[in-house]
Amino acid sequence: MTQGLTAIVEGLPYILPGIGVTMTVVVGALSMGLLLGLILSVLQVYGTRPIRRVVGIYVWFFRGIPLLVLLFLFYFGILASLQIELSPFTVSVIVLGLISSAYQSQILRGAILSLPEGQLKAARAIGMSDSKAIGFIILPQALRLAIPGWTNEYTIIMKDSAVTYALGVAEIMARCNHVASRTYQHFWLYILAGLIFLALTYIGTKIFHIVEEKVAIKGYAR
Amino acid sequence: MEELLFIRQEVAPALLQGLWVSLLLIVPSAVCGLFIGILSGIIRVYGHPILKRLAGFYVLFFRGFPLLVQLYLWYFGLPYVGIYLSPFTAAFIGFTFCSGAYHSEYVRGALLSIKRGQLLAAQSLGFNKFLAISSIILPQAIRRALPGCGNELIYLIKYSSLAYMVTCIELTGQGKILASLHYKYTEIFFIVGGIYLVLVSIATWMLNRIEDSVRIPGFERPKDFVTT
Amino acid sequence: MVIAEAGPVLRVQNIRKWYGKHEILKGISLELNKGDIKCVVGPSGSGKSTLLHCINFLVQFDEGRIWMNGEEINYNSKRALYDFRQKVGMIFQDFNLFDHLTALRNVQIALVRVKKLSKSEARRRAMVELERVGMKDHMKKYPAELSGGQKQRVSIARALAMDPEVMLLDEPTSALDPELIGEVHSVIRDLARGGMTMILVTHEFGFAGALAKEILFMEEGVILEQGPPEKILSNAECERTREFCGKINRLHKGTD
Repeated sequence: MTQGLTAIVEGLPYILPGIGVTMTVVVGALSMGLLLGLILSVLQVYGTRPIRRVVGIYVWFFRGIPLLVLLFLFYFGILASLQIELSPFTVSVIVLGLISSAYQSQILRGAILSLPEGQLKAARAIGMSDSKAIGFIILPQALRLAIPGWTNEYTIIMKDSAVTYALGVAEIMARCNHVASRTYQHFWLYILAGLIFLALTYIGTKIFHIVEEKVAIKGYAR
Repeated sequence: MEELLFIRQEVAPALLQGLWVSLLLIVPSAVCGLFIGILSGIIRVYGHPILKRLAGFYVLFFRGFPLLVQLYLWYFGLPYVGIYLSPFTAAFIGFTFCSGAYHSEYVRGALLSIKRGQLLAAQSLGFNKFLAISSIILPQAIRRALPGCGNELIYLIKYSSLAYMVTCIELTGQGKILASLHYKYTEIFFIVGGIYLVLVSIATWMLNRIEDSVRIPGFERPKDFVTT
Repeated sequence: MVIAEAGPVLRVQNIRKWYGKHEILKGISLELNKGDIKCVVGPSGSGKSTLLHCINFLVQFDEGRIWMNGEEINYNSKRALYDFRQKVGMIFQDFNLFDHLTALRNVQIALVRVKKLSKSEARRRAMVELERVGMKDHMKKYPAELSGGQKQRVSIARALAMDPEVMLLDEPTSALDPELIGEVHSVIRDLARGGMTMILVTHEFGFAGALAKEILFMEEGVILEQGPPEKILSNAECERTREFCGKINRLHKGTD
């Protein structure tokens, strides 16, 4: 036990910066996911049939293939074939971002669809163009409704970021593993890794709750 | 032509072998995980306060720690206390307990969503607690939990790829070995990805069929139910 | 000829219930003889619903005793409790039909699982009860497919199938659309005519007045006054009773 604690204390200076790396990956992926997901969800709800089809295939693809396979596919496969050199970090953010966009598009789509039909009708009735209506009326409401789903997505991406260790990204898991192989205290270091992820998830969820409350519209019953 | 031959002789057998191992991992852990999930979900709603607490901690840690960390703990961490698991066993146990925690949340949510009046009515007719839960609450809760639990099963199919990280060579592992041997990463991983897509699609279709077959008026899924 | 009076079917003595610091029931006592129909009326929050839930122990009261047919109910014994509940039928304001079962199976399930009848016997009995409340044609429907009045009738059939000695009806029509109230009232009237012993909590004064042998006016956890309908509804002794009944009477004039 004491050996474990010593290993942890000694390893902390090396491990803690990993938190920054992990958070960057997570925030990067979520942001990319949000941007793309927003566009995809609007296309899926308001687009023509062929467009909806294409988005559907995109979603099916990125929700159906395991993260690890996609990471290998992109990093070792596609990028190598195209002779583009990107760091494991960049590839991880992109892949996680693409996957997240698929899930987020569905969260937002659900939120948009749950709004009463009358919202869009009323916006059109006062002469708004569709893009204005969507931008000023639909999305502000839908985004608020999507926050719980978003919080869930954050916890998933947070845990998925550990997988990027397979590409060599120097995030929390990679660093804990590094210290473990030096000190042979695998058990304690992995517990530490898990606890750090747990803490980050908890803090992030709390922040989302506060945001949800801050932007809540009074009397808006779900 | 050469490509096709290559696929037949080299790729297919290896990937099929990997697929077999994947299925051997997925199916048992899906079943066991679901069982553990239902049990712990029931305990968290109806159980003795101490058991409730314990089950609560189980869910907290097994949902809070990344699956990868859990797998590493089972495979690389347990030797620290003298237990040596094979890669396959470690993966199986890891998947079972992890997905069990997620199932537990869905089951718990479903149980809590059943109107209190159902239990009251059962009690007023003379049902004891056990009968009331098993005949009245559970049948309804299972239908409510289906979308969530079904979703979790889909996740399991995908996350089984992480078994490779603890040196259990299933589909993804075979793919990696083949790809690095022949430098054909793109093709091989497209095929591997395709196989997972097929598995996921079949599983989704089956789950939809199951949901349809146990559908009861009044328990419909809200339109365009979003499952993440 | 003097018939020896068998003791009361149900006897409730001095029920007290606190929720935190708030005393909801402040010592309620009442007695029901066979065939008695007593209606409990009063403002919201007076504890009427809680009282009914205490009688069949769905809510655990803090003080008090209950007897059925002269035997005291020992609520610490699970066995005694479940047996007692089978003899006391309860009708809820929000019906509480089992949502995952058809009307037929709703009535059937307690017969099979609690009374341990065979499936076919239970089915036969269930169909009889459904017929009795006029719901036989809908027996294969699920609760989500039934109207409020239909749901309440099925719930009455479900309670009757257990052969209760006493029926507790907790505002059976409060959650119904006005046009559906009539069908439930007529089923309850039939029950009364058949001699069922009942406690009915309701806001429907006209109905209560026509049905009940005795009306109990409850407010703030105490029975302020009790007596025959003619007296309580139009000629009460207690000022508060007169005030309450007067208001309701004016409201309901012409609708009952």
